Amino acid sequence: MHISEGVLSAPVLITGAVLTTGGVIIGLKKMPYEQIPEVAVLLSAFFVASLIHVPIGPSSVHLVLNGLIGLLLGWMTFPAIFVALTLQALLFQFGGLTTLGVNTFNMATPGLLAFYLFRPFALSEKTIISGLAGFLSGITGIGLGALLVAISLVTTGKAFMNVAKLVIIIHLPLMVIEGIITAFCIIFLKKVKPELLEVKI
Amino acid sequence: MKFMSYIIFIIFFTSIAYAHKVNIYAYAEDGMVYSESYFSDGKKCKNSIIKVFDANTGEKLLEGKTDKDGKFSFKIPKITSLKLILCASMGHQDEYILNEDEIKTAIKSEKALKSKIKKDNNVQSSKSITIDSSELEAVIEKVIERKLQPIISTLLKIQRAEEKPGVTEILGGIGYIIGLMGLAMYYKSKKILKK
Repeated sequence: MHISEGVLSAPVLITGAVLTTGGVIIGLKKMPYEQIPEVAVLLSAFFVASLIHVPIGPSSVHLVLNGLIGLLLGWMTFPAIFVALTLQALLFQFGGLTTLGVNTFNMATPGLLAFYLFRPFALSEKTIISGLAGFLSGITGIGLGALLVAISLVTTGKAFMNVAKLVIIIHLPLMVIEGIITAFCIIFLKKVKPELLEVKI
Repeated sequence: MKFMSYIIFIIFFTSIAYAHKVNIYAYAEDGMVYSESYFSDGKKCKNSIIKVFDANTGEKLLEGKTDKDGKFSFKIPKITSLKLILCASMGHQDEYILNEDEIKTAIKSEKALKSKIKKDNNVQSSKSITIDSSELEAVIEKVIERKLQPIISTLLKIQRAEEKPGVTEILGGIGYIIGLMGLAMYYKSKKILKK
């Protein structure tokens, strides 16, 4: 879901950059000292996840993990994803430097939404409920991310419904896979490192 | 156990490969332009739109779709530098520029080929054998082309492999992340110490 250089028009790029700058500043302000290593670890996971290619479905899709990162980091998702996408653009030539703002916004916003919607449930005593919260976060991360990509592409003159349909259909298998992975991660973290989830952000 | 099942899941359901960058490569010969498009993991771009522009004036010349092998070919529309832009789905894009010399050579070889065919017909009718330079050129070009085909495809493969992110890039990126983490911790700790 990396939008390449030269596809989007200037107003879209600028809007994306402004929104992302705001998100990154809020995220950095909210970042407590003790959580910096956690942010770094999740950011590394996001950085590498895009190399894990999912061979299901009609197109080339890869893991994103923005639902999981959002659920664990809240507003810090913005700086984390921003840094990861910058490195991906520089080292892998995925996406591009001018589209960093838009791409970060498209990936981080669903994570933030997952944080507000499902974080309370992820903290639940019952494994099933926290697993379900993880699953839904994974689905939200990819689903809403795909929708935002479609919205960003509207201004390129392509019919919104067609692009949206295509992007959603392509990412349907990935939505389920990420849902399952996020659910497993949350359940695993609750068993092994419950304090990670209990941090107040 | 949960962790093991998670790892097993990852191994079974996903395979490590590289995606999400598209590439286009094109060459001209015999009055035609041939292009090939693929994702950075080597998967072909099917049904992707290719737009052809005049690289000097920016004027759009034609547009077409790739077939199931990611290939798209068209007759040279104009003798100038051509810019091919590949628009794969969901905002993936790449471009390739064919310079004027390449196009001119391709047009020339087409003319030579045509004159050769014409001559062949004449030869058949008059039963006399004559070889002129343009005919010879066309024949040689054909042979060289056939001989070079495997080399070109090998080069393409190498180019594809080069474009995949390797271990160096991945470890380098993680190194940067650790460095940034250290930087962030340094600044935050300074603030805490001041308090």
